[in-house]
Amino acid sequence: MPRAKSKKEEPVEAGSDVAMEEAPPSHQPESRDDMSVDQDENGDAEDVEDEEMDEDEEEEEVQRVRLLPGSTPTAASFEFLNEGHTLGNALRYVIMKNPDVEFCAYAIPHPSEAKMNVRIQTFEGTTAIQALEKGLRDLQELCDVVSDKFIDARERFAASGSS
Amino acid sequence: MDYDPMVMDDAEAMGPVVKISQADSVRVKYQLANADISFANSLRRVMLAEIPTLAIDLVEIEENSSVLADEFVAHRLGLIPLNSEGVDSMFFSRDCDCDSTCERCTVTLTLHAKCTGDENMHVFARDLVPTSERINSVLGNPIISDPDGLGPLILKLRPGQEVKLVCIAKKGIAKEHAKWAPSAAIGFEYDPHNKLHHIDLWYEQDAKAEWPPSEYAEWEEPPQEGEPFDYDAVPNRFYFNVESAGSLPPDVIVSEGIKVIQQKLAGLIHELSEGDGGDGMNGDYGGPRSPEYATGADGFGGYTTPFGNGGNQSSWGGAGGTTPYGTTPYGGGQSSWS
Repeated sequence: MPRAKSKKEEPVEAGSDVAMEEAPPSHQPESRDDMSVDQDENGDAEDVEDEEMDEDEEEEEVQRVRLLPGSTPTAASFEFLNEGHTLGNALRYVIMKNPDVEFCAYAIPHPSEAKMNVRIQTFEGTTAIQALEKGLRDLQELCDVVSDKFIDARERFAASGSS
Repeated sequence: MDYDPMVMDDAEAMGPVVKISQADSVRVKYQLANADISFANSLRRVMLAEIPTLAIDLVEIEENSSVLADEFVAHRLGLIPLNSEGVDSMFFSRDCDCDSTCERCTVTLTLHAKCTGDENMHVFARDLVPTSERINSVLGNPIISDPDGLGPLILKLRPGQEVKLVCIAKKGIAKEHAKWAPSAAIGFEYDPHNKLHHIDLWYEQDAKAEWPPSEYAEWEEPPQEGEPFDYDAVPNRFYFNVESAGSLPPDVIVSEGIKVIQQKLAGLIHELSEGDGGDGMNGDYGGPRSPEYATGADGFGGYTTPFGNGGNQSSWGGAGGTTPYGTTPYGGGQSSWS
């Protein structure tokens, strides 16, 4: 028994773990510092503070549209959070209908990220942001029209059924 | 060739057309014409997954001596459709100011049943009783559409067994959990003659003889014998069949679906116009941009990957085999594959 014990202790006393930590410096960049700061904050925060922080985060409106880097006024990529094919495809169609728009496409870069990217390239005279905004408004108008048409159709159907 | 686009324009100038072919309390069948498939599909997706309804979300079980486990009963309760008329004026409970429950974000239902007779007892959805204040008198009532007025069967009790529980119903959407789905199924169909060849029909001898014609086949011209394939054709008429699960009437599902799309768009327009008035970073280019990226002082317009490294190095080596995620731990920064 004593022999087994000493065998177990030997590698621990050699301090190989400590040596390992120092030996190969991580090639991962220094984001560790940020992470440790976050952890400290979370660790310090009491439960009550956590709840407060959550409330603050909720109140703070998360920006859902972002201009991706590398964008110029007439050729821009936008990133939408929490949107998918539901908005993306219809928006792409409506924006392409705009005669000032040279190109529009959408993509969902990864299925497990709730992000949707839209690329808009316009001709001179308008900007991609204007085209995007016009697209959103045009789609809204389309919805208005379809909504009205549906209500009309429903009333006509009800009238024809009763008579 | 001059004439064709004109015809197209005329058809499009008329705008979308909606025709209802059948409607009752559980389903509406309608045709949407002169619309693009992308819009029709958006409508379909929204009606399936994003219309808010009411469903039981929390169950506080005081007594359950039935043979079913608590969570099993809770799951069954969640799937019972509740009347969601007026759910629009309710808040999502995460957005509500109240501490736990209030009439503006929740409806409380109680279920108390004990089998005192000699025979097994059936507990139905009609035994769920709304007990809290509500914004109207039907919101949260279990949907009962069978002729006996019983509603869905929740569980059965042997003599002497008892269930006593309180259910808290909340507003939600089917994207989060299918119990909030207003629609049971949505039929979506176009091009009944398969003129566009979007479908590759499987057959043994003759696809036409072996596949039954669609119920909408007579609504559209059948293809002429030997008609050449039209490469420019796009689907133009869409046949919806919206079947309600009970919580909302079928016509309301369609109207609400369009409304949800509009709210989505309105939110984005609001955000965009807000961004225009914001800080004009990048000179005259005041577009939407998240604040964390606007503060970047380097020449790269404030864009760094969360993994550091400036993020602007080619992923394909060149700069020493760095990936967008920083130097790889494997190559020690040396380009091993360029």
